[in-house]
Amino acid sequence: MHALGWIAVLLYAGAEALAIRSLFLPGGLGGAPALVAAGLLTQFAQLVVTARSLGSVPYRTLGGSMSLFGWMLGLAYLVLVVRHRERGVGPFLIPFILAFSILGVLLPSHPSSATSATRGSLFAFHVTLAILAYAAFALSFVLSLLYLIQNRQIRRGRTGVLFSRLPALDVIGRMNRTSVTIGLAVLSVSVALGVTWARRVWTGFADAKLLFALITLLVYGLLLWMDRRGWEGPRVALLSIVGFILVLFSYTFVNLYLSQAHVFR
Amino acid sequence: MNDGHEAQILVLGWNFRGASGPVRERIALTADEVRDGLRRLLGRGLVSESVIVSTCHRSEIYSIGQGEQVGDQLTRFISEWRGLDPALLESASFRRFGAEAARHLFRVASGLDSMALGESEVLGQVRQALSIARETGSTRAVLHRLFESAVRAGKRVRTETEIAVHPLSIPSIGVELATKVFGDLGERTLLLLGSGETGTLFARHALEAGVRNLRIANRTLAHAQDLAARVGARVVPWDSVARELPSADVVVGTTASPVPVVKRADVEAAMRQRRGRPMFFLDLAMPPDVDPEVKGVYNVFAYDLDGLEEVAAGNRRRRVREVPRAEEILEEELERFLGWFGNLSVIPTVTDLKRRLEQIRDGELERLPPGDRERLRPLAESIVAKLLHEPMRRMKNEPDAAKKLDRVEAIRHLFDLDRE
Repeated sequence: MHALGWIAVLLYAGAEALAIRSLFLPGGLGGAPALVAAGLLTQFAQLVVTARSLGSVPYRTLGGSMSLFGWMLGLAYLVLVVRHRERGVGPFLIPFILAFSILGVLLPSHPSSATSATRGSLFAFHVTLAILAYAAFALSFVLSLLYLIQNRQIRRGRTGVLFSRLPALDVIGRMNRTSVTIGLAVLSVSVALGVTWARRVWTGFADAKLLFALITLLVYGLLLWMDRRGWEGPRVALLSIVGFILVLFSYTFVNLYLSQAHVFR
Repeated sequence: MNDGHEAQILVLGWNFRGASGPVRERIALTADEVRDGLRRLLGRGLVSESVIVSTCHRSEIYSIGQGEQVGDQLTRFISEWRGLDPALLESASFRRFGAEAARHLFRVASGLDSMALGESEVLGQVRQALSIARETGSTRAVLHRLFESAVRAGKRVRTETEIAVHPLSIPSIGVELATKVFGDLGERTLLLLGSGETGTLFARHALEAGVRNLRIANRTLAHAQDLAARVGARVVPWDSVARELPSADVVVGTTASPVPVVKRADVEAAMRQRRGRPMFFLDLAMPPDVDPEVKGVYNVFAYDLDGLEEVAAGNRRRRVREVPRAEEILEEELERFLGWFGNLSVIPTVTDLKRRLEQIRDGELERLPPGDRERLRPLAESIVAKLLHEPMRRMKNEPDAAKKLDRVEAIRHLFDLDRE
């Protein structure tokens, strides 16, 4: 039953069209946030339906976890709009929400039967928080791209559409700092929960995913440290992009081929 | 206007395109002079309505008058009043009539006729011209509606296009770029080097842009103190500029120093102290106050006059690209105004009034039982015809064109004839 998922995808696509339109038309947010909000509600309904049929948060399938990821990214977008009234971010962020929601509908959604290892609230929190952390890092990735674009526009004195619509570097930098901090904190808790839970279920737990999660924590920790130590600006933005490539690698390649405990198939 | 000796809109003006600076200066009017001029114009009976728009770039008299000779009479009036040669005034002036006069005002209000394309001040000046004319009692239905329509068109052009978005002046461009680095400049520190003419101009601009923490350094301390006292800034001794750099987010160079005042080594040291927080240099001096090498320091933004001029040229091109869209908006608003103005003639008003009364009559008849309806119809028709007769006769036979306009406008308003 993917009808709700597809409706959400259509709403996000409409939001993206409006967001791009609002880049070129002065005044107002152009209705994109309203469509994203509608998309979020619809997708939430889809997630609830899936969760009911699975009997747990829908992360045990690759599709479910992607959908959850897209949903959390959408939530992050709405927070940015409400807090900063920034419309410049929308056209660049909504495509990610859209892409993950489409993957969420298209990718396999028949889970391997739940075992005792994939039940329980500890496990649920571990996975949900990990996905939330990845959404925060994805947001940081988009903000870093925007930072680099705006930085280039300002340096070259190009005062066109992007220059006018994108927020000031200071604002993008602050939004980026917030999302990395949240991502870092949430991922730390998720890793701690994961390790605790793994010890309970298995003995002698060692997984490639854990290694990559620790490297991810290290990279984003370094980023925040650099930000305070005189590297604020384009270098921090570049490191955030590197960090997110690592996250993507960890989310896809590591899950599918290296990890034994994080296979969503 | 359709009915023969009707009143028409006229504009007689002198602007920067046709009239030289000295001529414009002689004609330019203060608000009090505008009031005086309007009273004289109406007192002489030259026109029935008038509004004067007077700025440093233009003086334009919008009027409602009858006949072709009104323009000449107005020129003679200005020549006598301001003591200027009529031939010179005539050759430097322009005239537009009817729809062209209205279109001209719409272009003025939206900044399309301005020297700096899309500038915003002129909209306020047009609005003020209308308010002075209203106070003086020199506007009635037509010019009032014309100016309100022009102001609406001007507002729409500014909100629906980007014609006024990209700044053209060098200080505004500097402030815009700095704002895109730091966001709100209110919390930032701006260090101004030099307190001469450019420095003073920039200081005022920065304060208008919301800068609250302004510091001024000048080789001659007294000059810095003088400017600082006028704009509410803090003075920095000239030999402390390098020490002051770490706390400055924006540094603006406007001195006449033959060698750079800010050197790369100073900026590198400042950036270390600032822990990499960005710095912004705006060099408005020639020769430069800021060593061009400063541009290479990490997270430093630096612009010289040539760079800023390039940005200004780009912004000008962007404004020009918005002109067709602005003109579309003007034509929409113009069409709406001209539609209203065209209806101010007697014949369409008589037709509309007749239709309105007949609608009321038929509506009331419909409510009656069918038998009564047919029996009472001749009576109702006769009442409507009698009611219409006298107002129609009076409107048609009014010899004074201005009064005729007023009456037509009153009828249209009282019977709500412009409602569609």
